[in-house]
Amino acid sequence: MRKLWRLLPLAVIGLAALVVAGCGGGGGGGGTSTTGASGKTGGTATVLDFAGSIDSLDPGYWYYQTDYEEMGQTTQRWLYGWKPDDTKPRPDLAQGLPQISDGGKTLTIKIKQGIKYSPPLQTRTVKAADIKYSMERCFATSVANGYAAAYYPDIVGAPSAPTSKVPDISGIQTPDDSTLVLKLKKPVGILANGNALGLPCTGAVPKDYASKYDQGATSKYGQHQVFTGPYMIEGAGSGTIPKSGYQPAKIINLVRNPSWDKSTDFRPAYFDKIVIKNGSDPTVAARQVLSGNNMISGDAAVPPPAILKQGLTTRKSQFVSSPSGGNRYIALNTTVKPFDNVNVRKAVAAVINRNALRQTRGGAAVGTPATHFIPPQMPGFDEAGGNAGPGYDFYKNPDGDVALAKEYMKKAGYSSGMYTGGPVLAVGDNVSPAKQTAEAIQQQLKAIGINLNLREVPHATMLQKYCNVPKAKVAMCPNLGWGKDFFDSQSMIDPIFNGKNIVPSGNVNTAQANDPKFNARMNNAVSVTDPNQRAQIYGQLDKDLTGQVYYVTWLWDNNISFGSKNVNVVQNSFNGGAPDLVFSSLK
Amino acid sequence: MTTYIIRRLLWVIVLLFLVSAITFVIFFALPSTDPAQLRAGRQPNPALVEAIRHNLKLDKPIYVQYWLYMKQLVLHFDFGYSYQNNISVKQQIFDRLPATISLALGAAVVWLVIGITVGTISAIKRRSVFDRAAMGGALVGISAPVYWLGLLSLFLFSNDIGKIHIFPGSGSYVPLSQDPAKWFTSLILPWFVLAASFAAFYARLLRSNLIEVMGEDYIRTARAKGLRERRVVLRHGIRSAITPIVTAAGLDIGILLGGAILTESVFNIPGIGRLAYESIQNSDLPMIQGTVLLGAFFIVVMNLVVDVAYAFIDPRVRYS
Repeated sequence: MRKLWRLLPLAVIGLAALVVAGCGGGGGGGGTSTTGASGKTGGTATVLDFAGSIDSLDPGYWYYQTDYEEMGQTTQRWLYGWKPDDTKPRPDLAQGLPQISDGGKTLTIKIKQGIKYSPPLQTRTVKAADIKYSMERCFATSVANGYAAAYYPDIVGAPSAPTSKVPDISGIQTPDDSTLVLKLKKPVGILANGNALGLPCTGAVPKDYASKYDQGATSKYGQHQVFTGPYMIEGAGSGTIPKSGYQPAKIINLVRNPSWDKSTDFRPAYFDKIVIKNGSDPTVAARQVLSGNNMISGDAAVPPPAILKQGLTTRKSQFVSSPSGGNRYIALNTTVKPFDNVNVRKAVAAVINRNALRQTRGGAAVGTPATHFIPPQMPGFDEAGGNAGPGYDFYKNPDGDVALAKEYMKKAGYSSGMYTGGPVLAVGDNVSPAKQTAEAIQQQLKAIGINLNLREVPHATMLQKYCNVPKAKVAMCPNLGWGKDFFDSQSMIDPIFNGKNIVPSGNVNTAQANDPKFNARMNNAVSVTDPNQRAQIYGQLDKDLTGQVYYVTWLWDNNISFGSKNVNVVQNSFNGGAPDLVFSSLK
Repeated sequence: MTTYIIRRLLWVIVLLFLVSAITFVIFFALPSTDPAQLRAGRQPNPALVEAIRHNLKLDKPIYVQYWLYMKQLVLHFDFGYSYQNNISVKQQIFDRLPATISLALGAAVVWLVIGITVGTISAIKRRSVFDRAAMGGALVGISAPVYWLGLLSLFLFSNDIGKIHIFPGSGSYVPLSQDPAKWFTSLILPWFVLAASFAAFYARLLRSNLIEVMGEDYIRTARAKGLRERRVVLRHGIRSAITPIVTAAGLDIGILLGGAILTESVFNIPGIGRLAYESIQNSDLPMIQGTVLLGAFFIVVMNLVVDVAYAFIDPRVRYS
């Protein structure tokens, strides 16, 4: 899930990230409690959104950072949830992690009893069948979920393509009200370790109530949904969400869910009410948050640089920062000259001044110069070499090494150490700060004779018409990034490097990496269920893939949140460092 | 006159039809993004993209899509449903229209009052200190970008982030029906910010027109007849000089009723302008169509109003 504006389905988690220098990484900050373990109950929080707010009311659609922050983690419970500093899924609707049997092909999950729905279904409790239906509807085109096809295809009976009606999936079984059984075609690590079950598709949706709304081209369940989390949309108890509770891109009013029982939940849910206001100007809203009361930054992870700079000297205690779980990279298309030559790619990696690129986004505050693909906090990060990286010489100097780059160019057949071909097509963003990053890369590559023909276009256009379309034959995409979906590095590595993911459009394997040996290793890794072994495998994959320089990863992003003086803002690591509204509180 | 108005109204329908067709063609002929891909997640599954395209009827030929759209619009006054949130376009437009009307009409009152007053005094007291100061100020008003002026006003006068806490700040707008007093106070800053450049332009325009008119023979005649100067200016001078102002005001108000994007954005007023902007960002065709048609409707209707008003302001104008 990403911070992503709706326009950019990619890792904006990172995208926003101006971190507070000195506020410390790793979830640290200047607030009172970074974990939200303690807090003052009561009060109203006002969340100001800059970027665009939630994408949809439908839990089955939620995929991006803001969806999780404002609706997913506040109003619904999933099989597994995430405390602010959790790096492993925590049982929520489930009683415990999946029990694995049948060689990893059967997962049995016991469901907590007595968890009630919000009005008008306040007399109903969550049953295993409700979770089954919730998962099944994620395969329906009327819901248009963005990850079910990627993470649940190995459930027996799961459709290979989205279906016009909600399918009945034979591999999701409910022998009784408190037991959910997943039958798999093969062992699946991200299901066995619970990571891919800590997503909104594993919430509870009662079939007899919701199915009538799931008919038609687009589901209307979101506007009639019932809630299991600590909060619900104001007025939704009538069965229809009223304007007073939600108006698209204007406001969301969350109030306490009267059916919610604190004793069954790990969320403290300190606030009595949460008001989410959309459409704020970033400069104005950032000032309102910092100088006001009870306010929290919403869907933008960073205030404008000038305000941040000023805030760090005068209001440092109001900022918190942590690694976003995402990265930024330059994609080198291996099917287009000159990047079909691995030594040219290594030369590019060597010549790139990652510190200078970081400067285009705000300097040291925005993150750490990357030395490989998997970002900090993720399994496999340490195994791939941690901050120091795998040890490749072309990543050794974060300020770039022109001499080394020229050596690689010579190895690539350019005897002078300089590229002698014509201009190389690159497509980048046309807005700051990404635009400045692309232009800096253009300048740096001149040191080895590569002249970029840089086209600058809107971000969504860049992806949909150029970088994610193989036939566009774009040699370099300098403004890409990727972030985790959960704390398993399959979600970092597989989509970007596996050749099976190369498609005519929407292709996120922008480099078109397609080495059969790597593909096989990634395909095999999917079935590994032991977490430590998975970390080893993906860490080693990261090392080896970094050696091929399909992408020049130059930054591991940080994410920043901020609030009013009287608010203790707590970030959620699973959600890329976005504010966790059920753990934040008034001071 | 009635025939003229009916004929013009029929042209309004034709024009709106053309605008809708052009918007459709632009959206599909020059697509910057694919609405289906935007909604299919960060790693779009091709089958899901196709399914969404089918659901949104984007897989049909463009003329079929246009026909279906127009059929719904004409027969049911139905603008369709947003690609983004599946909520009725008509409902969202009507929800946001009051805010835009409040902003545009209020600002129009401010700029007309200021523009006409300043322009008139400057013309009468040409080369005076007032004239020089007013025209200098007008130059600043015309040059200042609305966005910058909005931020400046908030940083100076809003009661949350301002230096002097006087007016409600960004995001304070409440509908008139909910709280008239708060509605009024929340719009004071936006009204003045939006009106600033218009008032400046109108003052300069009226000043130059009035100076020219006051040199006409019939003004000399009026004075020779012994009319008081006030009556000469108000009755004979301004009435003639104000015609271009009426034209400009009609068009400007029409445009603003279609949305004042920058002002609505800075002050977080949930109006049509912001809705249009967000729709374009989201490639939300039904919403883009709705807001474009609304804007076009206001512009052509205000044009008609201006033309009719001419008949009352200028005795030389007759429609038959």
